Amino acid sequence: MEATVAPPTRRLPLPSPLAMQQIVLVLLLIAEIIVFSVIEPKFLSSRNIRETLRLSFEIGLLAIALTPVIITGGIDLSVGSLMGLAAVLLGKLWRDGHLPIGAAAAVVILVGVVAGALNGLLVTRLKIPPLIVTLGTFSLFRGLAEGITRGADNFTGYPESFKQLGQGFVAGVPVQVPIFVLVIAVFWVLLHRSTIGRSLFAIGFSEEGARHAGIPVDRRLLLAYVMCGAAASLAAIIDVAHLGQAKADVGTGYELDAITAVVLGGTSIFGGRGSILGTLLGLIVITVLRTGLPLANVGDELVGIFSGVLLVGSLIVNRLLLKWSTHRAARSIV
Amino acid sequence: MIARYKREFSVSLALGLLLLVLGIRRPDFFQGRNILFLVTDAAPTLIVAVGIALVIIARQIDISVGSQLSICVVVAGLAGRAGWSAPAAAGMAILLGAAMGCLNGLLVAFVNLPSIVVTLATLVIFRQTLLYWGEGESIQNLPATFQWFGAGQAVGQWLVIGISGAVLAVAMAVTNYVPAGRAIYATGSDFEAARLAGLKPKWVTFGVFILLGGLTGLAASLEAVRKSQLGPKLGDGLEMRVIAAAVVGGIAISGGRGRLIGCLIGVALLQTIAPALNYLGFPPEWEKACQGLIILLAVASDAFDRKKGH
Repeated sequence: MEATVAPPTRRLPLPSPLAMQQIVLVLLLIAEIIVFSVIEPKFLSSRNIRETLRLSFEIGLLAIALTPVIITGGIDLSVGSLMGLAAVLLGKLWRDGHLPIGAAAAVVILVGVVAGALNGLLVTRLKIPPLIVTLGTFSLFRGLAEGITRGADNFTGYPESFKQLGQGFVAGVPVQVPIFVLVIAVFWVLLHRSTIGRSLFAIGFSEEGARHAGIPVDRRLLLAYVMCGAAASLAAIIDVAHLGQAKADVGTGYELDAITAVVLGGTSIFGGRGSILGTLLGLIVITVLRTGLPLANVGDELVGIFSGVLLVGSLIVNRLLLKWSTHRAARSIV
Repeated sequence: MIARYKREFSVSLALGLLLLVLGIRRPDFFQGRNILFLVTDAAPTLIVAVGIALVIIARQIDISVGSQLSICVVVAGLAGRAGWSAPAAAGMAILLGAAMGCLNGLLVAFVNLPSIVVTLATLVIFRQTLLYWGEGESIQNLPATFQWFGAGQAVGQWLVIGISGAVLAVAMAVTNYVPAGRAIYATGSDFEAARLAGLKPKWVTFGVFILLGGLTGLAASLEAVRKSQLGPKLGDGLEMRVIAAAVVGGIAISGGRGRLIGCLIGVALLQTIAPALNYLGFPPEWEKACQGLIILLAVASDAFDRKKGH
């Protein structure tokens, strides 16, 4: 036996992978803002920022709600489709069901809760992988929306007071902002300042371990999926109010944009690691890109290309930094 | 026998029932022309489903196949319009698909990034690149020597079906009898054990992504020769369709389990729904809802079996 044992390769008080990802994101964000304001000084004007906020609200809401789900090691591909179903139901209940718009909205939130519970129950009771469950409900929810509208119906003509929910202002900022801040606050407290949040991290780190530690794993998972469903319904309601119409294709592809923001923000797709702050940073980076690039007179399509490259690029940088820091930590112990 | 092939058996039974109902209510569904058209329609999807099944068996996932297919279709179409022969254009599409698969494979196998994140990024990158470069236009007026491989529709249809069948047969033989095929199962069921057993699971992972890309390119060229209009949205949603077909056919998402014949049954069942709704007089808009329900039923029945078994 050699006398010198290999030094433990754990890192010392160096930034955690999550913090490192966030540092990379902040640097990226600063670079983006500098580049765009040099190219187009109007970029920082308040009007531009206001419109940006409105447009990124729905994906932001989905991303925030998806963060706890992904932290548990799960995924929800059905949120975009659920938005479509919720929007169509809202229109149907209001126009053909003659419900007051407020009641219709309440029913729609309830539908979101039930849809989320369906995902959650299939995951927890039947132990089907979340990817497959939500792939199924991804088709199911969109299919129901298409079936209800026969693929063509469009619900319009909502009362002005309802449309204020998507187009109005509160104290000079779009309505979306205070709603979004409230949602972020709720999710932040839940995830980072409550025992429920701690247990979600524990489940993502090791579901079996969490079970042995006495955490009610199934109930916690169910809660994460239910909140995701409710958030998707809320996003749909605001979207309908904003655009004044509800078609079956509302929210198509939003799940991918939202997941991109979450993962870009440093939340591990395998669970156990992540934060609301990271998701928020990821969202801002993508949104700034989305508003900045058209101002710089390049095609809209480039936004997607850039955000895709950013996603992979930031993960690679993160991986390299992690390797480098564990390497350094190992040496510094010697 | 039945116990071992339970999944294949029960999904075939569902398909059989559906066909029986169709046979009683609408015998005209079974006209030769109609069946031939439907089978030709499903053939390219089957090829991609076989490819994705291999990736899933290796415990990975690829959600960028739809975008890959769109790019390959447009490139094959452009080649065809420029006077390339159909086989040459197909070769080009296969190479291009393999190159895209290579990128995914590199990032997953050698940079160790999770495949769902990598292919989520490449899904968007490939799609947007195509839209940026092609400006959303579709390709029309392909020369007659290109369409249906220049063999006319009657022969061309059989060519398309034959190629898909050959791909399935070869893939089934390889996964069952060739060591490289077994290595995919070994990699998917336990990566570390496969490595210790002297296999090269990283290269297997890399390989299945390239294979899927190549197969997607092949499927794209079959789409290119059989459609009169080639748009950049042809592959939209394909990833969900083929993953669903593989899962319904019994390919376990947790890797290492499932037989490729399941892909055939899964594709057949999911592709029959739309025409069946149509023939039985239901609004065709319910297709997606039925497909979602079938996916959930298939995986839920599995789960019930597991519960009873333990």
